[in-house]
Parts: sequence; C-alpha cells; structure tokens
Amino acid sequence: MTLKGGTSQACAACKYQRRRCTADCPLAPYFPADQPKMFQNAHKLFGVSNILKVLRQLDPSQKLVAMKSIIYQANIRDKYPVHGCLGIIQQLWYQIQLAEEELQAIHAQLAFYRQHQQQEVSTGLSDSISQLQLGMATPSNALSLFHQDAPQNYDNTVSALPIGSHPTYSSNSANAANYNATYMDSKENNAVNSLWVQQPPYNNSSSNINSNPMVMQSQLINSQPLIIQQDCGTQDYDEMHPFFDTIDDRQSYIASKEAYESSSESSLKDTTQSVEHVAENELKSAAACFSLTSVN
Amino acid sequence: MASSSYSNSPCAACKFLRRKCLPGCIFAPYFPPEEPQKFANVHKIFGASNVSKLLNEIQPHQREDAVNSLAYEAEARLKDPVYGCVGAISVLQRQVLRLQKELDATNADLMRYASNEMPQGYPGNSGSNQMGRRMNNADSSFGQYEYPSPYYMSSWDNSFSGDHPDKPGDSNT
Repeated sequence: MTLKGGTSQACAACKYQRRRCTADCPLAPYFPADQPKMFQNAHKLFGVSNILKVLRQLDPSQKLVAMKSIIYQANIRDKYPVHGCLGIIQQLWYQIQLAEEELQAIHAQLAFYRQHQQQEVSTGLSDSISQLQLGMATPSNALSLFHQDAPQNYDNTVSALPIGSHPTYSSNSANAANYNATYMDSKENNAVNSLWVQQPPYNNSSSNINSNPMVMQSQLINSQPLIIQQDCGTQDYDEMHPFFDTIDDRQSYIASKEAYESSSESSLKDTTQSVEHVAENELKSAAACFSLTSVN
Repeated sequence: MASSSYSNSPCAACKFLRRKCLPGCIFAPYFPPEEPQKFANVHKIFGASNVSKLLNEIQPHQREDAVNSLAYEAEARLKDPVYGCVGAISVLQRQVLRLQKELDATNADLMRYASNEMPQGYPGNSGSNQMGRRMNNADSSFGQYEYPSPYYMSSWDNSFSGDHPDKPGDSNT
C-alpha cells in the first residue's frame, strides 16, 4: 500500500499488516519492502507488539543491533523450527570441545617431540662429556652422578605434559558440557550466564579468554636439565607408535559424540601412560648401562 | 515431563492466562505448574498465541525440545534485550575461529617436528596431517546446521532457499 501521492513504498511490516506506512513508522528502517520474508519470520516468532515492546525499552543507538539480532533469531527459528538458536549454540559448544581436546593432544605430542629433540642434542653432548668423565672419574663417582640427575628428569618429564590442564577459555565449556536442551530455571543460570558477553559482535575485546597456558608449559619444557644417557635412544621410535595409534583411532568416532568423549579421555590417559613409560625405560636403560661400570 | 491437565492444578500457562486448563491444552505437557517463570518468560517475549501456533506446526515428539529452546531464548532476551541469545552465538563462533587458527598453527609446528624426526612415508606423518582436518570434518558432519554468521547476512530473504531439516515430513524426523 503506497502513500497518497507519494513515491516511497510501504515497509514490509506495514505491507504485511495492510496499513499505511507513515514517515515515523518504527519498523520501517528494519524491514525494507523488498524482503517480506524477513518480517514474516520475525512476526511469526515475536509478533509486532513484542518487537515494539523490546524496541521501546532500548536506547536509539541500540535499536539497530537489537533488531538485527531479532531478525537473525527469527530467521534461524524459521530454518530450524524445533531447536532454533539453541541448537546452533550447542553445536558450537561441541565444536569448541572437540577443538580443545585436539589442541591438548597436539600439545602433548609437541612436548614429546621437543623433549626427544633435546635428548638427541644432549646425547650428542653427553657422549663427549661421558667419555671424558669415564676416563677421569672412578666408577663410584659415575654412579652418584646418575643418582643426582635422574629423579629431576623424571619429574620434569611428567610435569611437562599438558595433561589435566585445561586452557582457561574452556572454563565455560565445563559448564556447557553439562548443558542440555532442558530448561534451566533461575537457580541453574551458571552455564547460561557464562555464555553472555555484553559486547558488540565486531569488538575483539574478548581477551578475558586467556589462551596462554601453553606458553607456561613450553617454558617448563625448556627448563629441563640435560639427561645423561648412554646410547639407548633407539627405543624412542618404538614408543611413539602409541601416540599416532590413539590419534588415528579417535578419528573413527567423529559421528558419535558419546563414543568420542569416552575414547578421547582414554586416549589422553594412554598418551600419559606411554610417555611415562618412555621415561621409565630411559631410566632403566641408563641404570643398566651404569651398573655395568660400578664394579668395586 | 509435566503432569497433565487432568490432574489437580492447571498448567503454568493456563494459570498465567487465568483460563481453564482443558484436557487437550497444548501447553500443559511442557509448562508444569511448578515452573511458572518458564511460561512467564516465553509469554513475555514471544506471546502465548505465537508459541501455540509454533507448537502446532511441529510434531508432538519434538515439542518438548522446541519449548525448551524457546524458554532458553526468552530468558536470554530478557537478560540481554539487545543481543539475546545471538550474542552467545557470536562469541562462540569467534572462539571456534580462533581455535581453528590455533589448531592450524600448532599442526604446522607438529608437522615440522614430525618431518624432521621421521623418514618420509612414516605412518605417523599421515596421522598428524589428518589431525588438523578434524575441525573441518566436524563442520561437515554437522551439515544440517548450516547457519550464517550473525550480522553478516546481506540479503537473507533472497538467498533463503527453503532448506528445512526440522520441518515435518522431513526424512530426519
């Protein structure tokens, strides 16, 4: 319905309601005439009076953003009538969980690789050092040298793993992991509150989410002392098989969320155990090598 | 699920609307009298008639999920009248993007280590290559939720093609 003698077309809202679209129509800026479906969706979900109610309580500067969110929500509800925006939120949470678990596993692998590299470097140095020491020192002194260093190395090996340490941005995911489609009343608002960040979408100031715990771990790795070790490094390649086996196994569980969660937890445990096993083996082999020389 | 309207008290919706809760009340199974705030929120944001029309358009076994999602969205809109639940979607999408970037970077590091440590053609190399693709695979496995990013849509109306995975009669339902 056009204005009398006017050239401007009625907005989609007034067209739908078959009424005159005045110059100060509150919905005209948000529902252009060439997109009737947009208004139909918003009208179907919220209704005109509810939209106007929401608009009335906002500052003029917030109205455009609020209307965009209402239109978006209505369009999503039209596309997914059962779950609407909640389905998308749950899917995003799940993706975040997957990504975090994957990151943890990759960091564990990286830590292992770095440690392996350092061991290779230290093996090259220690070969020359140990030759000098064995030529100059008594066997009992060599044994005490081993005892001095070995416990520290073992502790650092274990503590370098990012097992059990969640990045701080996953603090919300701990709550959201338990969130399901059931209604949460006012007593259970923790997970819901953790999702709401009062900021415009283009603002990148979500720096409250800290993603730097891995920096701490890399410092921990770099501070490891050199491991005095004989030529017992060939079994390291054999010990790396469990890592890749666990990662490949996990890929087969993509379709099943529950199966994935249980398998990822067990694979992380397997990773921990295999790396601890490596450290133990290194100690035992080093001890065996030195015990041959400790003759009184 | 809530008690039916045959029992002692009317459902929360009929109590709120001050009307008789009839045996076929569409709200009764999903708005129990013990949760009055749930219906109050939904009614305030969406309106009882809109909710009733929505519920009538979807299949009975999906109505509980629909009501719960409406209740969540209503509460979100009440707490944040500007963004509602869309704010959460925006934040989560950015988190996902950031995590993807971090995964890509970390995978690149890993592959550098792996290629330096191991000979070419080692099975572990292919395993680590596929690792970083899990996010993309996860995206495609949830293809039924292909949603635009909020505030980036230019012409929703023109591009809206009618892909309705949740509509009745769909093979998924």
